[in-house]
Amino acid sequence: MAEEPESALQLPPSIAAEGEGPTEVSPETATPEPPSSAAVSPGTEEPAGDTKKKIDILLKAVGDTPIMKTKKWAVERTRTIQGLIDFIKKFLKLVASEQLFIYVNQSFAPSPDQEVGTLYECFGSDGKLVLHYCKSQAWG
Amino acid sequence: MEEDEFFGEETFQHYCAEFIKHSQKIGDGWEWRTSKDCSDGYMCKTQFQIKNRTAVSHRGTSARVQTCLPMEEALEPPLDDFEVTETTTATEVIKYEYHVLYSCSYQVPVLYFRASFLDGSPLALKDIWEGVHECYKTRLLHGPWDTITQQEHPILGQPFFVLHPCKTNEFMTPVLKNSQKFNRNVNYITSWLSMVGPAVGLNLPLSYARAAFQDEGNVDRQDSSIEPKSLEEL
Repeated sequence: MAEEPESALQLPPSIAAEGEGPTEVSPETATPEPPSSAAVSPGTEEPAGDTKKKIDILLKAVGDTPIMKTKKWAVERTRTIQGLIDFIKKFLKLVASEQLFIYVNQSFAPSPDQEVGTLYECFGSDGKLVLHYCKSQAWG
Repeated sequence: MEEDEFFGEETFQHYCAEFIKHSQKIGDGWEWRTSKDCSDGYMCKTQFQIKNRTAVSHRGTSARVQTCLPMEEALEPPLDDFEVTETTTATEVIKYEYHVLYSCSYQVPVLYFRASFLDGSPLALKDIWEGVHECYKTRLLHGPWDTITQQEHPILGQPFFVLHPCKTNEFMTPVLKNSQKFNRNVNYITSWLSMVGPAVGLNLPLSYARAAFQDEGNVDRQDSSIEPKSLEEL
């Protein structure tokens, strides 16, 4: 179920999305907050400030996958693809029977254990890593 | 790709050939095999995985309920030598074979695989499930008997485990259509294998992601003159 077209969203480059821990997910991140450079990465309590430890990830939905209202996240380099998948699934409230894939270069799914920092080094450009995500019923 | 997400055997072989080219460059071990009698062929790779299994051993028993007991007895001293509860770590080498075949009925590639210990004894389906990545376990466990089944290898005639292909088209289509929007020539096999492989222990090195495109160049690099706010329109 797709939300409004992505091009209609005019979000500031960085949005502070707070409280996005693994156990507590707030779907109300569309609440406008003053643009802040202190973007909080998913799944961590510490505020971002150290640009070395975190990288910017831009999440793009594919197909009928719901579009995340917050697209740009600062994520620790050591976070794995699996960790990111878990986060997005909770964020989008996907059920267990739904699979979520994340892609680099739009079509290649890195291994779940791959760290986003490595992906950033290989596929990032202009200070960010673009990742596409797609939900599916891949099995069965 | 000439049409949508379905393709014929020739296209399948073409993508496999491209895939193997890159595999050879990086020493990833994939090979093409043809059957003797027909023009069918498949891609295959063998890899060894070392698994460290921690077992809590009580006197005379093993707490592990896996089906590899014969292997254990071969490796470890008689368990009744252990008088106290002790944690032991057994290292097992497991040989995995992955075969990529073309399914005429589904018109998609299919991943066949099997695993065995070094002495040749095969892993049971239970052990295979144990090896499924956490990432996929929940989903797969919803219908394990629908997703991983044991079937006869169409060319070798031996029992293999198979990732059922009936949903392949469904999950490949949005990805391919999305890539086509950006005029990317995607290697279907590379993309597909990157998605299904990890579920059964097969991980593709990242360099395949770049090799998937005919025109590597800088097509995946954003023009540096674009203002940050237009990121939303990527």
